[in-house]
Amino acid sequence: MQGSDVKVVFALLIINKAGGLIYNRTFAPGLQKLDSNDYLILAGTFHGIHAISRSINPAPASPPPLPGHRKTPTTGIESVESSHFRMTCFQTSTGVKFLLFTSPEQPNTDTVVRRCYEIYGDYVIKNPFYSMEMPIRVEKFDRALGGYLVRP
Amino acid sequence: MSVYAFYIFDRHTECIYSKHWTNQQPTNGAIPAAALTSAAATRKANQAADNAKLIFGTVFSLRRMVRQLGGQDDLFLAYRTGEYKLHYYETATQLKLVMLTDTRVGNLRTVLHQIWATLYVEYVVKSPLSPIEHPKGVGVANELFEGGLESFIVG
Amino acid sequence: MPDLNPAQEPPLPSKDTTSIPLPPPKQFVPSLRYPSNRKSIYDRNLNRTKTSDISLASFAYLFNALITYHHAQSGSVSEIENRLNRAGYPIGIKLLDLLLYRQVAAQSSSSRNTAARPTRMIDLLQFIQGTLWRALFNRPADALEQSTTKKNEYMIIDNEPVVNTFISIPKEMSQLNCAAFVAGIIEGVCDAAGFSTDGVSAHWAGEGDEMWPGKTIYLLRFRESVIEREEALKAGG
Repeated sequence: MQGSDVKVVFALLIINKAGGLIYNRTFAPGLQKLDSNDYLILAGTFHGIHAISRSINPAPASPPPLPGHRKTPTTGIESVESSHFRMTCFQTSTGVKFLLFTSPEQPNTDTVVRRCYEIYGDYVIKNPFYSMEMPIRVEKFDRALGGYLVRP
Repeated sequence: MSVYAFYIFDRHTECIYSKHWTNQQPTNGAIPAAALTSAAATRKANQAADNAKLIFGTVFSLRRMVRQLGGQDDLFLAYRTGEYKLHYYETATQLKLVMLTDTRVGNLRTVLHQIWATLYVEYVVKSPLSPIEHPKGVGVANELFEGGLESFIVG
Repeated sequence: MPDLNPAQEPPLPSKDTTSIPLPPPKQFVPSLRYPSNRKSIYDRNLNRTKTSDISLASFAYLFNALITYHHAQSGSVSEIENRLNRAGYPIGIKLLDLLLYRQVAAQSSSSRNTAARPTRMIDLLQFIQGTLWRALFNRPADALEQSTTKKNEYMIIDNEPVVNTFISIPKEMSQLNCAAFVAGIIEGVCDAAGFSTDGVSAHWAGEGDEMWPGKTIYLLRFRESVIEREEALKAGG
């Protein structure tokens, strides 16, 4: 099956609200191997770019919100395309960023990254031994993510 | 499809051309001088220059990140936020073309390549009056290039 | 002699008592909060079990807070388990009453007011494995076994304890099983039913088990006196 071969989830990175890398896992080969320090730098850089991308918004200002409604905030980068991969970024309302690296052919990356967020909400946030903002070393989270993203 | 802005950066990371469209009305330095005091105009120009620097920084970092992860032959194509999309094309001479559009636009790589091949090369590179380098954008914004770009974008 | 020396007592300045009136007594405000329909938990029928399911997420956050608190308070794994056990114990005592009351209400034809509490060992264990588990987790426990070496030890096995659904134990305290809370509930039920124990504890049993990595054994250690009574009953009956 040629079709299923090209749809691959390469990796998932989670960046906390201060720009620190708290989770980094590769699911399939396809991206270059980086050492952990480079991943940390990459997470910090992306955190900055994400903030800048919100400030260079050239789109005409949306109509002022109705009284009593809050202005919808600008989102920042939601996806980056390159010739080899696509990166989907999902930022939660508390500022945690989920970076999902997939092949460009992978469909529904928005759904996939949201499902990762749900798994994080279940097994990381509801785990009494996880301290917020710290690197995620949670066994059940690893297992649940593996079950969802690693294709047998 | 609506195009918001177009930038060209040279290999010295300098912005040598920029143009903005708001609601398809070109506003390229043609702000009526009478309507603005000189201070406001300066501020506006500074703001535009800062914006160009931010865009270059973003593109530069993303390009590096893409190469780091995808390998040396990987190319950064575009990024999308909830409000706009940024398209990127780099020529062999490290000329960087950036276009900002709304989010519904597909891949503009061929379009940017066309702008470079049919407009920039024809009207800027081949112009006998144009210098080889374009410090501060000298020689890029000539009449033929401007007109060509305008008709290319607005149609 | 009541009027021995009234002057010794400094006379209350009568002027003040009249000029400063006592503040009106504060109106009694009950601390119980009522929902909008003015029906508190006490207005609800004790028998209503169909709609009493609660969201697993709410429970997870509450349990999370409980564990975090006890974790911060205690220095060792056994102390955390001890504290969780004690937190579950009163729940068990109350649950025995409530479940027996409901058991009768379910069979409405019965003329009795309450079901009798289990008086035999096997009844009690089946009550825990079936009724208690269904009330708490909506399914019976996966197995009930007697220890082969000691006759006062029984084991209740749960392949995947609901309370541990979202909990991953860090490596440095891999012995800790937060189902100690459930063990406390079991201990409460046993004690309230008159079967005193030397403790009920929760142990991991899922190591190397691909299917059920979270398998947990609840070990019930009954007192010798309970076993002696049980044997006397057996001989008599």
